[in-house]
Amino acid sequence: MTAKKEVSLINFFIFNAKFGPKEGDEHKKILFYFPHSVPLDTKIKQIGLCEAIITFTATFTDHPCESLHTHKTRQLFFQAEPDFWTVMTLGVPSIEKIVEGQTHTDYREEDIQDHVYRAVLQQTYNLYRLFNGTFQSTLTKCDIESLKQRLDHFFSKYLVTLRLNQVDIMTVFNGVQFLPLDKISYLRLQCFINQMEMIFPQIRYSVVLYNNHLVWSGLEQEDMRVLYYYLTASLLPAITEQDFSTAPLVTSAEGSHFGRFVLGPPDLQNEKNLGRISRVHLAGCEQEMEECFLVVYRALGALMCLLIQGDQQLDFDLFQKIDKFVGPQLSAIASDIAELTSRKNPSSTEMQFKYVYFNRMNFAQKTSIHTSNGLTPSVSSDVLRLIADIHNDLNTVTQVEDGETIVKTSNDSWIVGKKSDQREVYIIIHQKNANLIEINEEVKRLCSTHFNNIFFLD
Amino acid sequence: MSRNSSRCSNSSSSGGDKNDDDVLEGEEPGAVYDGSIVVQSKPFNAITTFLQPPTEGDKADSGSVVSDDVLTDDEKNGGVSPELMVNEVPEFDDDWRSASWKKQKKHVFIMSYAGKPIYTRYGDEDQQAALMGVLQTLVMYFSHMAEPRDTLLCSCAGGHKFVFLGRDPLILVLASHTDASQNQLTMELMYVYYQIISTLTAKRIRNIFEKHKNYDLRRMLSGAERQINNLLDATEHDPCFFLGAVRCLPLELSVRDTIAQAMAQFSKVKDLVFSILIAHNQLVMYIRLKNYALHPIEIHLILNLLVASESLKTSETWTPICLPLFEPNGFVYAHISYLDETCNICLLMITVNENLFHTLSNCRRLIAEKLTHFGCLKAIQGSAKENKSQYKASDVGIPEIHHFLYKTKSASLLTSPMYEAPYSSQSEQDRLLSLYQYVHQRLHNSRLPVRLLFHVGKSEALLGRVTSGFELYIAFTPFVSKGAAVNAMDKLLRWIKKEEDRLFIRNSPTI
Repeated sequence: MTAKKEVSLINFFIFNAKFGPKEGDEHKKILFYFPHSVPLDTKIKQIGLCEAIITFTATFTDHPCESLHTHKTRQLFFQAEPDFWTVMTLGVPSIEKIVEGQTHTDYREEDIQDHVYRAVLQQTYNLYRLFNGTFQSTLTKCDIESLKQRLDHFFSKYLVTLRLNQVDIMTVFNGVQFLPLDKISYLRLQCFINQMEMIFPQIRYSVVLYNNHLVWSGLEQEDMRVLYYYLTASLLPAITEQDFSTAPLVTSAEGSHFGRFVLGPPDLQNEKNLGRISRVHLAGCEQEMEECFLVVYRALGALMCLLIQGDQQLDFDLFQKIDKFVGPQLSAIASDIAELTSRKNPSSTEMQFKYVYFNRMNFAQKTSIHTSNGLTPSVSSDVLRLIADIHNDLNTVTQVEDGETIVKTSNDSWIVGKKSDQREVYIIIHQKNANLIEINEEVKRLCSTHFNNIFFLD
Repeated sequence: MSRNSSRCSNSSSSGGDKNDDDVLEGEEPGAVYDGSIVVQSKPFNAITTFLQPPTEGDKADSGSVVSDDVLTDDEKNGGVSPELMVNEVPEFDDDWRSASWKKQKKHVFIMSYAGKPIYTRYGDEDQQAALMGVLQTLVMYFSHMAEPRDTLLCSCAGGHKFVFLGRDPLILVLASHTDASQNQLTMELMYVYYQIISTLTAKRIRNIFEKHKNYDLRRMLSGAERQINNLLDATEHDPCFFLGAVRCLPLELSVRDTIAQAMAQFSKVKDLVFSILIAHNQLVMYIRLKNYALHPIEIHLILNLLVASESLKTSETWTPICLPLFEPNGFVYAHISYLDETCNICLLMITVNENLFHTLSNCRRLIAEKLTHFGCLKAIQGSAKENKSQYKASDVGIPEIHHFLYKTKSASLLTSPMYEAPYSSQSEQDRLLSLYQYVHQRLHNSRLPVRLLFHVGKSEALLGRVTSGFELYIAFTPFVSKGAAVNAMDKLLRWIKKEEDRLFIRNSPTI
């Protein structure tokens, strides 16, 4: 009889030790704690423990503490801002076997990789910061109580959506899937964007996606990654669900187009309803974060994000104008792209080739083993963990500028990781009775057909 | 003792593993003929579970036999005698929190469950009492106060790893700035723990702390400090430790057989359990009582004892020693003597009977006579001179290979060539060692067992291969092509097979 337990979230908290330095004031250090039902005493003990570990590791190194491993748990630390620590405690997945009346629990520590789950921590902070600005800025502009409220508001909702057993190397990359366009379409898009930004000077940045792939972005890379993650992980899945239940497309007064607001007025006849519009904070490249309104507009498969100056009052008129201008053009572009991609598609050889690719310079990522429903069935999560390990090795342990690692597992799966000039690719080949030379030939062949414009060392 | 028709399933195939590439144990180059010489290197988990309780009544309770006059000197000293620390500890400021203290690659702290400092690798442990107090609180929190009860294993911060090992009543902590994995570091802490056990026995330590929770164990450990320091230094330069294998002195088969016969003939004494011949810090021959065997860890502890103690060289020594995996709760007795003037060849006889000194002294004389008569001692000396006991990587005749490690699993023996260019300096050798550690951890750490690893880096290409019979790690020139690497590996395996009689102990008689 075996019972399997998946990785679970035991707690998640944010604290700042400077807020309660004196005895008796420890509860002031707590800024957010999940789950709320835990007694205050336990919360204080947990935070005290974290402080002890952080201080201990600081005795030896300036690098902030990253993790604490115990037999049954894994605690991950991330110093989001100076003195502000976010900590996540996970329960290690385990398998319980009952042999002759005795329960035997086998804790599988290797199934949780520090760098993967720390990437999750970092991602949650980035997402919080996108919608709420930094902790410090909230403190200076308002007060500690409003910071606590914001943290509670955001994290209580977000933490329940975390799917911890589906986190893997892609979370570490935190990259963006690009869709390259042909010259004509690209120029059309470029003209359209330029025109739009001239007509609507309040629009600071714009981003265009098609089918979860990035087509155009005016944002800084760091902001783009966070926004892309938000769009592909939260917003778009929510929209597609809505689509099945709402009314058919809204047509505007002048000619019909297929565009409508996702974050913005849902019905352009109704002046009163401005819809849901989020405020976002962009880090950009300056010290201060910039506040903008995020307006999302959709036409067929294309999604356009407009970031409008945050100090403006938004009025309905603006949205009507945007709809009139953007709607038809975006719909046209979307249908063009649709044609393009359908022409490119019949290359089913891609299916056979299992790989993950990442470019550190532009954060481009490509994968053939992740689908919207999870991993393709032929790839196990053990293999992905091995890929994450190899990635870690190539970047930290062996510290190679360019290098390659080939690994063969006991069940005849070969994983080849190549790192060259800021690009990494991990290829999985499953072949019985192959040897190193054959696999190498196969990989060379694949790289030359699919990555022929990228130089990978042999 | 018939020889197996040795068949190495891979040595004939070209271009690597065409068929099932697993080489079974007992069929690898260098495999032993009958039984195992040393107990299978146990898997990591088996070693880290608590030591087994005593099995036989007559071997137990030797704790009180250690004469107390060995201890009175130590009891007079409050702490560690400074002279022991001088050679091992580099120059730095008195303030243990100085930058030079922090920069040390590996710190080891040992304290009791009550938080009393016992040992620190760098500095004075009394000064570090506060630090040890923090460590003790952390460990005890998880094992005694957390809900549910848990065990603190390690913490990571950037390139630093802090590994914790709690072995009632001791707590051991390692703070390391190397690339070794958590498992490898925990293994090193286990070695230190076993070193302490080998000085005092597990039972004695438990008893002391049961009666006096605040006992200062340093009073009983002053000699062991030096041994622990030596052990830690050795783990930084020698791959034997993380591979769990013992180096064996290359010797012609005929000479080794003669030695085996001589030793076996005169070791058939009641209560004599092991008879070991060591030369130049490597194993030459090993005779054992049927059904008993030594673990590689215990052999390393014995080697450490020999290296660390100058006084053993002067005359025959009779010393109690605890073998932690053989019998953790009691002492066995070792008769230690050197058979040559230069004190490189050492004969150890281990018995459970404390009164056997004179009998063993006699055995020693007889063995020494026979070995001298047959010229074995000369052969050992000769083999040790001028690169014969250590061969060079270039002797193998494969230019792409710069260095390699080969471990047979059936015997837990290791062979490797001398370091040559480009690994002539200590820092290069240490760098290579950490690379071997990386390959080792990648091959052993994953939930999905990895059989082969090939890594191309800036200064070398590494190949690691694990089969049921052996483990092989090779450092190539970085420009080697995959085809050349695979061919080189096959050639190397064939060479090892050809030389196996000389490189390994094939026969280990039982008495």
